[in-house]
Amino acid sequence: MIKRFFDWLKKPLGLIAVGITFLALFSLAAYGISLSQQPPAQPVQFPHRIHIGFGIQCLYCHPGAAKGPSAGIPAEARCWGCHNQIVKTQTSLLLKPLKDSVISGKPLQWVPVAQVPDFVQFNHRAHIAAGQNCENCHGDMSKMTVAENPQIFNMGFCLKCHTKVAGENHDLLVKLTDCGTCHY
Amino acid sequence: MAIELKVSEVKMGEAYVGKWGMVIDQDMCTGCQACVAACAMENNLSFVGETDSGYGRSMHWIRIERFWEGSYPEVKMTPNQPMLCQQCGAATCEPVCPAFATVHSQAEQLNLQVYNRCVGTRYCANNCPYQVRSFNWRDYKRPEPLPNQLNPDVTVRRRGVMEKCTFCIQRIHKAQDKAKSEGREVVDGEFTTACAQACPASAITFGRVDNPDSLVSQLARVHGHGVKHLEELGTLPNVTYFKGG
Repeated sequence: MIKRFFDWLKKPLGLIAVGITFLALFSLAAYGISLSQQPPAQPVQFPHRIHIGFGIQCLYCHPGAAKGPSAGIPAEARCWGCHNQIVKTQTSLLLKPLKDSVISGKPLQWVPVAQVPDFVQFNHRAHIAAGQNCENCHGDMSKMTVAENPQIFNMGFCLKCHTKVAGENHDLLVKLTDCGTCHY
Repeated sequence: MAIELKVSEVKMGEAYVGKWGMVIDQDMCTGCQACVAACAMENNLSFVGETDSGYGRSMHWIRIERFWEGSYPEVKMTPNQPMLCQQCGAATCEPVCPAFATVHSQAEQLNLQVYNRCVGTRYCANNCPYQVRSFNWRDYKRPEPLPNQLNPDVTVRRRGVMEKCTFCIQRIHKAQDKAKSEGREVVDGEFTTACAQACPASAITFGRVDNPDSLVSQLARVHGHGVKHLEELGTLPNVTYFKGG
């Protein structure tokens, strides 16, 4: 039975079948990988590019980054502070979710883009206090429309910078490369 | 070929001083289990249920041990003994881990458990003389709305991972972060562990043992007869017990 199947695979029809199977698997894998590389769909196509173009600082909308572990996503009231003075907000179809959210009081369900696993405890404050700029990890937002991740936040990415910053300072190196600094 | 044994350079006995330490006064302890409950809430411990608890798989990072002296009917109960990870200076759990998941923190002088490294051999728990490590035998369900009370500062462990007391390292980091943002050092008594905070009899005191002015160091001096459990094994525990003072 199995021998007959292998014999059939060597025939032209069998070879075509093998080819089709291989192509299907390959394209499925490529599609899967490309899916994982796309930024997630957001309720509003928020253009970081335009907002930064107006000269708005990162910390204006994400003030938590300077104060605590989480940078935070601004509430609709923060958006509305500027947007209710802009005529286009009332008519734009892209901004309709924001207007609806303000009227109904239901918060927009933003999808987090830059994430670390549950077993990593990240603190924005310490990094900002150490003089790191947002774009060192989050990329140049002035070139992005919907937020996307320029790099994978894995341990190599973190430690590369931690060892570089510590340099010759042994005490700092011990603290910055200690497992317990991030994993608990 | 002769194997050359290298004796550890860790100083033995009283010469060893850790960083974070705890003092537990067993005469004050009433055995109310408030520390056990507080620890479970703070550190996202799972509720294993009746069946698994019957197998001895209950998960607690701190437990109250009770012992009896004498034979029935003349039994006398010894003081309650809260038992938690002793954060040994020379821990027996550390060298046996094949995945380096339980390592010694050089910065905080604690025994760490790195959950994402742990492969679940359970060797560390078998090698711990205090029996304070607990293993996640299953993914224990948290029915709604219990997930809402999870502490976001602590990892939620999954099946097949060992866990144990961390001396509330998330609180240590929080206090250090707050102190650093205000440009000062961490003050003694500024923060404490969940068990010490919950103890209604103040039987548990937590702080820096390497600072002679801290409350833990002062208590250790006042009592003067503190006991470290299984000290003869050379584990250099950082928890001191007082009894019969």
